[in-house]
Amino acid sequence: MNFKRKETLTAYGFLLPNLLGLTVFVFVPMVYAFYVSLHDWNALSPKVFIGFDNYKKLAEDKDWWQSVYRTFIFTIIYVPLLVGSSLFFAVVMNNIKKKFEGLARTLFLLPFAITSVISAVIWMFLYDPRNGFINQLLDLLGIPTQQFLGSTSQAMIAIIIVILWINLGYNMMIFLAAIKEIPTDYYEAAQIDGATGWRAFWNITLPLLRPTTIFILIVTTIGSFQVFDQIMVMTKGGPANSTMVSVLYIYKQAFEFLNMGYASALAVVLFLIIFVLSLTQLRMYSDKD
Amino acid sequence: MTKNKRLLTIFTIACGILIVLPIFFLVISSFKAPEEVFKPNLNITKLTMENFEAVMEKNILRAIWNSLIVSTSVTVIALLFHSMSGYALSRLNFPGKNLVFGWMISTLMVPFTVIMIPLYMVTKNLGMANSYLGLIVPMIFNAYGIFLFRQFYKDFPKELEEAAYMEGLSIARTFFRIVLPLSKPMMIPLTIGFFTANWNNYLWPLIINQKEELWVVQVALANIVGGGYETSWSIVLAAALLCAVPTFIVFFSMQKYLVDGIKTSGIK
Repeated sequence: MNFKRKETLTAYGFLLPNLLGLTVFVFVPMVYAFYVSLHDWNALSPKVFIGFDNYKKLAEDKDWWQSVYRTFIFTIIYVPLLVGSSLFFAVVMNNIKKKFEGLARTLFLLPFAITSVISAVIWMFLYDPRNGFINQLLDLLGIPTQQFLGSTSQAMIAIIIVILWINLGYNMMIFLAAIKEIPTDYYEAAQIDGATGWRAFWNITLPLLRPTTIFILIVTTIGSFQVFDQIMVMTKGGPANSTMVSVLYIYKQAFEFLNMGYASALAVVLFLIIFVLSLTQLRMYSDKD
Repeated sequence: MTKNKRLLTIFTIACGILIVLPIFFLVISSFKAPEEVFKPNLNITKLTMENFEAVMEKNILRAIWNSLIVSTSVTVIALLFHSMSGYALSRLNFPGKNLVFGWMISTLMVPFTVIMIPLYMVTKNLGMANSYLGLIVPMIFNAYGIFLFRQFYKDFPKELEEAAYMEGLSIARTFFRIVLPLSKPMMIPLTIGFFTANWNNYLWPLIINQKEELWVVQVALANIVGGGYETSWSIVLAAALLCAVPTFIVFFSMQKYLVDGIKTSGIK
């Protein structure tokens, strides 16, 4: 056998496990999701083909669109908060005394060592409506006891704070790494022109961080549309559905009510929403160039 | 300027301490007696181990063991498969290369939550539900690792492989004997990434496994919290602290690499 044939054979041998795995566990499920969405199926009895009835049903499902709306609200509040605060702290971190930078980084990054369920547990304890530390602090300040996770108006914000807390340090580190890559002569040249502080940030740092910012924006937006863990543990979508986001709604339809066909139709729609959103974002950011 | 710098440093450290405070409460409250848990004091003489004894009855050690098995297996197998694929896609020439790469990368567009229902059915039909296999196998395959290994091998010095071919080693042997042992700079951040991601995984184990003896930590912990008010907060927090120990170990022993890993995933 010549080298070329051997090379081709080895290459496909090396690729085989992933080709198989990605086919069975990603590609087939993707196609299967659409197939199942055309059926009425409760996971136990045989599937009944019903065409696009599930899609007609979901178009009129108020609870579903409300969950989509809530996911949007979550995203619109969470993403700018995360990107803004992690960029802010990255810039600050880059300007503190070098002696303390390691310590500061460790402090900010520590929540990253906590899992999402553990973060939910800690904050449920802190948010406790009767004796939680946050309510004790509010009490000291003369503010009345708050329900937090038990309140329809506060639960979503309370959850956003938890997710922000766990992700801030990690995203700050991505920004910080990008800031450190900017050559210092840029700032030195700007200094000669009289541009320091805010102006240097606005004219040098921010434009050069564009690729990093876009990366974080897109990844975080896609992640926000899939938010689940903390909500499932902390509120299960309550109180009065005020934290019922799309993925939780799909999960409940599929695994609590066993409406597998209907839940699959919802998942297909969620995919389209995420897909369009990512494309729009990519478009938006590249248009500005 | 220096005064500004000092203020900025104090401000940042203060924010950092505020961020760590919830973890501090987790640790301290785990050692408090149930009736003391909501008191914001630090009465060290009253600290107790009884919460951890109560946690032992809740089978949390078994869940930690399950999570260790699942996370370690996924990480080891994924690193092997992904490095092989990444190597083939960057260093070997074969017909259909771009097609295979494009197809693999396109699977990155499919979010897990979108395919979780059919993935559950596929895994169940393969007879893997309620078993370690079902927890492990579907989590191995993702194009993310393949992509990063491909980038890594692009910058890998060619001379080593050429020398190995001159010695008469086959492509496969060259990879396993020479290239793979030198792939540590990519292996370490991905080990951290895969291990923590799988340790953190809650949704998939929740769906695919109903057996209590196969509960992973996140599911077991969520069940203790969901148990209502009969479980004291001090016991819940002690359980949470135990579940956090492995990721804390990874975090503190690998922090340097973690930062490198963040750089690779963030910029390139």
